[in-house]
Amino acid sequence: MIKQSIIENVLEAALATGGDFSEIFIEDKYVNEYVLQSGKIEQSIAGRDFGIGIRIFSGLQSIYTYTNDFSEEGLLAAAKRAALAIEGGGSGTIHPLHREIITPIHQILHLPHTVEHARKTAVMRQADSIARNYDSRINQVKVRYLDEQQNVLIANSEGKFVEDTRVYSRLSMQATATEGTEVQTGFYGPGAHAGFEFIEKLDLNHYAGEAARIAVTMLHADECPSGKFPVIIDNEFGGVIFHEACGHGLEATAVAKNNSVFANRIGERVAPEIVTYIDDGTLPNEWGSLNIDDEGEKTRKNVLIENGILKGYLIDKFNARRMDAQPTGSSRRQSYRFNPTSRMTNTYIAPGTSEPADIIASTEYGIYAKYMGGGQVSPSTGDYNFAVMEAYILKDGKIERPVRGATLIGNGAKTLQLVDRVGNNLAHGAGMCGSLSGSLPVNVGQPMIRVSEITVGGTKGE
Amino acid sequence: MNISRYQEKLLDKALEAGFIEAEVYYEQKKSFQCMLYKGEIDSYETSEDGGLSLRGLYNGKMGYSYTEKLDDDSISFLINSAKANANILDEDEGIDIFGGSTKYTSYDYYNEELETIGIPEKIELLRSIEQKIRAYDSRIVTLDYCLLQEYTAERSLANSKNLALSHKENGLVLFLSTVVKDGEEMKSGSYLKMTRDFHSLHADDIAKEAAEEALANLGEKSIPGGKYPIVLRSDASASLLSTFMPILSAENAQKDQSLLKGKVGHKVASEAFTLLSTPFHPAALSGASFDGEGVATKEQAIILEGTLQTLLHNRKTAKKDNCETTGHAHKDSYKGALSIAPQNLYISTGEKSLDELIHTVTNGVFITELSGLHSGTNTVSGDFSVAAKGFHIQDGKIASPVKQMTIAGNFFEFLNDIKGASSELYFLPNGYGSSSLLVKELSVTVE
Repeated sequence: MIKQSIIENVLEAALATGGDFSEIFIEDKYVNEYVLQSGKIEQSIAGRDFGIGIRIFSGLQSIYTYTNDFSEEGLLAAAKRAALAIEGGGSGTIHPLHREIITPIHQILHLPHTVEHARKTAVMRQADSIARNYDSRINQVKVRYLDEQQNVLIANSEGKFVEDTRVYSRLSMQATATEGTEVQTGFYGPGAHAGFEFIEKLDLNHYAGEAARIAVTMLHADECPSGKFPVIIDNEFGGVIFHEACGHGLEATAVAKNNSVFANRIGERVAPEIVTYIDDGTLPNEWGSLNIDDEGEKTRKNVLIENGILKGYLIDKFNARRMDAQPTGSSRRQSYRFNPTSRMTNTYIAPGTSEPADIIASTEYGIYAKYMGGGQVSPSTGDYNFAVMEAYILKDGKIERPVRGATLIGNGAKTLQLVDRVGNNLAHGAGMCGSLSGSLPVNVGQPMIRVSEITVGGTKGE
Repeated sequence: MNISRYQEKLLDKALEAGFIEAEVYYEQKKSFQCMLYKGEIDSYETSEDGGLSLRGLYNGKMGYSYTEKLDDDSISFLINSAKANANILDEDEGIDIFGGSTKYTSYDYYNEELETIGIPEKIELLRSIEQKIRAYDSRIVTLDYCLLQEYTAERSLANSKNLALSHKENGLVLFLSTVVKDGEEMKSGSYLKMTRDFHSLHADDIAKEAAEEALANLGEKSIPGGKYPIVLRSDASASLLSTFMPILSAENAQKDQSLLKGKVGHKVASEAFTLLSTPFHPAALSGASFDGEGVATKEQAIILEGTLQTLLHNRKTAKKDNCETTGHAHKDSYKGALSIAPQNLYISTGEKSLDELIHTVTNGVFITELSGLHSGTNTVSGDFSVAAKGFHIQDGKIASPVKQMTIAGNFFEFLNDIKGASSELYFLPNGYGSSSLLVKELSVTVE
């Protein structure tokens, strides 16, 4: 993308004031996005994102600058501007760049730009018609198609020089059901680190049908009661609860400065023995997968909690310095505009032994969260909140009736202790995670789990 | 790269390639950001970047493309992509490129002095704030954010109908998050301040406010769940407003995604509620004298004493509803298609001070922060159930902080249940503002 000799000059210029590490991240990304609403393709955008991020470390200081001026003068000026922030002396040295060839673990069959537009829009129309035909009360459907090809080049003063191509495909469907003055929506948004083959193979009857079914089901749902209940959270996107309640607290961003309830606790019991929590960026073609992270480190399977014992954190190169630890292939950024830091990839609770039907049957009274919405956490305190998209009241071991407006609140570290059943039906769901280094594709996953008590906030007063 | 020459060349090439009309939008931004940790620079960021988009009428439809790489290759990429995208569209928007308004109000969104003050002076201020917060109280453990951000942005819009508009703005934002601990109880509180006037920032005042915001959360108690009268502090109220803004969009109404469809001229809120939109407000940092299509913007009432005056329109939705555009066409950046959004939308102030509002409540809850708004709200039905931080109000006084809560209700009912607005006004950096509101009741659940 940019000549190697220019890259070398930039890495060197960045160290002119005494920095001890410099890095360049070059990104050239093509994006296509179409939106179908009211049965019509009404928005289509194509674009090219292009820019360069330069990073310098000087001890425990991190300097970042970005630009889309790709001329040698422009890049050198940016590197020098960044270097000015360091008040050191002398100049660091750079190692000769050594080109590393990576073997892609995520095979891409059909690059999006080789696929005719009409094939992409045909899938959108099909999803639209499945959702509309599900029920006469579905009066609006919005289908969003997205493909991205992100080409990156990462080089640093330690001699790293590596290139990678990431391809993403996603189809998201939102159905709105209306009856009288009642309006409810349902959503499903499968995505993958894959080409158009992923979109073509999608079981649209399932995904578009579920989006419609959720909307219609919620139309006549009662208001959710408030209080403390046992909560069963189903598999797949249900994993978002531990993504927030626990995953963010295991990122070096929070751990390195002791701003996490999980800091300095390696080897300690933080969860019941049935809980094993893993982050794995190597799962083939999953939405949160990568060949290499945004520092050029190979992704790997990181076991964070094993049988309830805290085993590790997600660590990037910079925080590794403060923590005196090794990076874990977990450094990510939304684009060249973001200083990378430790983030999740595909994070999930490993499958247990309970049959999902038995978990439900053994619950006297509680809430069954079939599909979760999004959530949020404050890593320093661990306090979280989540919306449940589709919830039911459980009574005498049976799913009784749907309820809406359920919000789960609590403290991550405490909730983790209260997991008392882990099912055997692990599945993953795609989502976007927003944090320090931007908005990133991540998978959340789990089998069905039960927490013995969570505070449920609802619209129906106690 | 000379931008105006590049814009001109692109417009010429687009017309040559068969576009009937075309528009080029360009944005560039310079920013600086610094985060401190225990007096040391933890992270330091600078940037200079931008991008450009092409929007043009081809075969009767509006094609769209953008790039961040401004070279000759990109000209053909932009033209070919915009053409291909025009062909995909089913809908003929029936909208052309705008020729220009008769008058644009000039307003100063840029303060040169802010840019001339050196970076070291700004870092020094941040350092002094951090120090003062840490020294303020022994229960202060750390700051998990101690951030200063500064930006200058310029945008320009030029089209084949000879319209050429430009805009320049700058601003500075401080974000502090203080972590406090008393025994086993750990809490945090965040503080945000934005300005174009560096000299209005005083380290002592800021440190005191930021520290108090966090310390106030210590000593939490539980209260029984149930329906309570609520006082919603201005910053929390502004964030709730920003989440429910889509209900005001004429585009959403036309697509059956807003219950305000057909409600113009009707009462949709209590008389204590007035909602204004203005591109010109001294307390807000955002706004511009033209909208995303180049239409002149103006100050207007959206809801006046409870009655809906208008929905927010761009030229496309206005044409469909057979009315005038309200100047609310919005481009998030050169990357986004044209949508609808307000410029500084705010809930107008009332007579009473915040203390006086609280004084009217015998047993209620004072809410100071909402979170989970992106997931716990349904803008179509109006239902919301979100996490909240706040205090118990007893006999007209703030009694104690309450454990983590959720508040739940329906935004349309909430609008009708507003009993009063306070005299102070707070703007978020995204341009949404509010006074503090007294609300009849909401469901409260306590952890």
